[in-house]
Amino acid sequence: MSTPISPRALELLEDMRDNFEQGLVPLSVYNDPELSEVELDRVFNRNWVFLAHESEIPEPGDYVLRTIGEDPWIVVRDESGTIRVLLDSCRHRGAQVCRADKGNASHFRCPYHGWTYKNSGDLAGVPHRVESYRELDLKQWGLVRAPHVDTHRGLVFACLAADAPELSDYLGGIAWYLDVHLALTEFEVLGDPHRWVVGANWKIGAENFAGDSYHTESVHRSVVEVSLFPSILLKHGVAAQGKRHISGLGGHAANLNHDVGAPEEAQFWGYPSEVTEQFDAEGMDPDQYELAKWSKLSTGTVFPNLSYLCSAFVDAPGRPAGTVLMLRQWQPRGPAAMELWSWILVPKGASDEYKERVARVATASFSPSGNFEEDDTAIWSTIARTAGSRYARSRNLKLNYQMGMPGMAEIERDENWRGPGVALMSDLEDGGQRTVQRRWIEEMLRP
Amino acid sequence: MNDVPLQWEARQHAMDFLHLEADLLDRRRLPEWLELLHADLDYRIPVRTTRERSATTTFSAAAFHMIEDRSTCQARVDRFASEFAWAEDPPSRTRRFVSNVQALYADDARDTIDVRSNLLVFRARGEDAAIHLSGERQDVLSRGPQGWQLRSRTVLLDHTSLPTLNLAIFL
Ligand code: FES
Ligand SMILES: [Fe+2]
Repeated sequence: MSTPISPRALELLEDMRDNFEQGLVPLSVYNDPELSEVELDRVFNRNWVFLAHESEIPEPGDYVLRTIGEDPWIVVRDESGTIRVLLDSCRHRGAQVCRADKGNASHFRCPYHGWTYKNSGDLAGVPHRVESYRELDLKQWGLVRAPHVDTHRGLVFACLAADAPELSDYLGGIAWYLDVHLALTEFEVLGDPHRWVVGANWKIGAENFAGDSYHTESVHRSVVEVSLFPSILLKHGVAAQGKRHISGLGGHAANLNHDVGAPEEAQFWGYPSEVTEQFDAEGMDPDQYELAKWSKLSTGTVFPNLSYLCSAFVDAPGRPAGTVLMLRQWQPRGPAAMELWSWILVPKGASDEYKERVARVATASFSPSGNFEEDDTAIWSTIARTAGSRYARSRNLKLNYQMGMPGMAEIERDENWRGPGVALMSDLEDGGQRTVQRRWIEEMLRP
Repeated sequence: MNDVPLQWEARQHAMDFLHLEADLLDRRRLPEWLELLHADLDYRIPVRTTRERSATTTFSAAAFHMIEDRSTCQARVDRFASEFAWAEDPPSRTRRFVSNVQALYADDARDTIDVRSNLLVFRARGEDAAIHLSGERQDVLSRGPQGWQLRSRTVLLDHTSLPTLNLAIFL
């Protein structure tokens, strides 16, 4: 699946690659129409891309309409319980056969001429077939299926490349960090995902969750000021004892804040005992369980555009906290816009009261109206404007991603770290973000 | 309660309330707006999805763009007052258009009004392209010593994916 790329775009990418190890990144990659065309093909249409959580489609026939890059794909559980990912395009003239965001259907019937597909994608019926389509081979004209679909702990992914690595190989070490959350108990999506459109490039979000701890003290200061979040979790420096930035995971990255203390001080991101009682150490190795036990805040990015966040928040000062595990996807919508999709995950066995508290604190912190989120997107949208400037493009203006690099700081590697990847004992460095970028350059330069 | 003069009176109270409220919000007089909120306020903006016509509802029962009470509205207003609340610095320029107001007294003492109205919010922010948010409000107003207050509000947006970088404004 080779895709064309203009000489100008190629030159920009090669220059980025050549200067990359010095921590220099061209500003214009955050708003470039040519690159954003190329990345739909080279990044989104051939890497494993997140689509849904299994709890969104528990029953046969349940479906949700999602996108890979900007293309519409139906994610459906067929009658046999198998999850299928089907291009939402009738094989006859291309009309969309699914017009709802979600629902339950045994068949998808195209409104244009009435071709009917089973929820497995197989073509089941063609009007006037006997009179006019006698030789039509139904088997050849089913909805196009994503060639590779797989799940990891409830997360549904698809890969459109003909030759895809196994999902487990693709995820590699980041699966270990995902499982520190997802293997503790069974999670489900709370309601429906939030969706909103922000005038910023999707990579800004992916990088931010991969390890931009540096922004929190400045951008999120107001939230601490009004006592909606403990300041200790946003402070760097000495207070950053238990902070780790994990890179070396092949394009994925994680950011952890944990604090090993006395046994009765177990943290579990602030989950209340009614939830932690249901946690099961059986599903994970002891090192993962130990990490979960002392964790206060985690974020991470799975290349290309899935991120996660877990921490406890409140929606008003003095209220009991609720712990939010959020899945976040940065969907490209052209070079200077993305659609944010955001799922709140709750432990399936938690009480309805606790789930409602989580809905409240998650909405108040990370959602379109989130007291945290509002400030991030307000800043990100200004990046697209400067990145699209003629000046940035014509001079190949570079941004500084050198934080914590050799010469800038002596950051120790945690030699006792039990998880995969390289664990740096500081959250004041850009390694996670460079990891995402490095993988992005590789994908973009791979014909 | 189909008494026409009473309906007329209820609608007049409702329109006065909604127009005053829109004015305070558009002028960003948020502390004064807070005084219009009942101590037991229940305020929700459910997430909407596109569904087939046969679906019983298109609104989520569990996911919200905002799910608030008096204290969380206070917390938001306090945050906006911080000099580090970048979401509204520079502030949005908003204009709320409230129309199609239908109102009925919900009790014999005429202390509670059920109101339905349409809301169109124009929002311009910095140099960003201006956006519109459109929806229906279902409000309950209740009369107390300080006059009418908002007891509950559900905003039923017409959008599935919100066309806005954030919801740093009240609807
Ligand atoms: S386009 Fe679908 S049946 Fe003709
Ligand atoms: Fe942030």
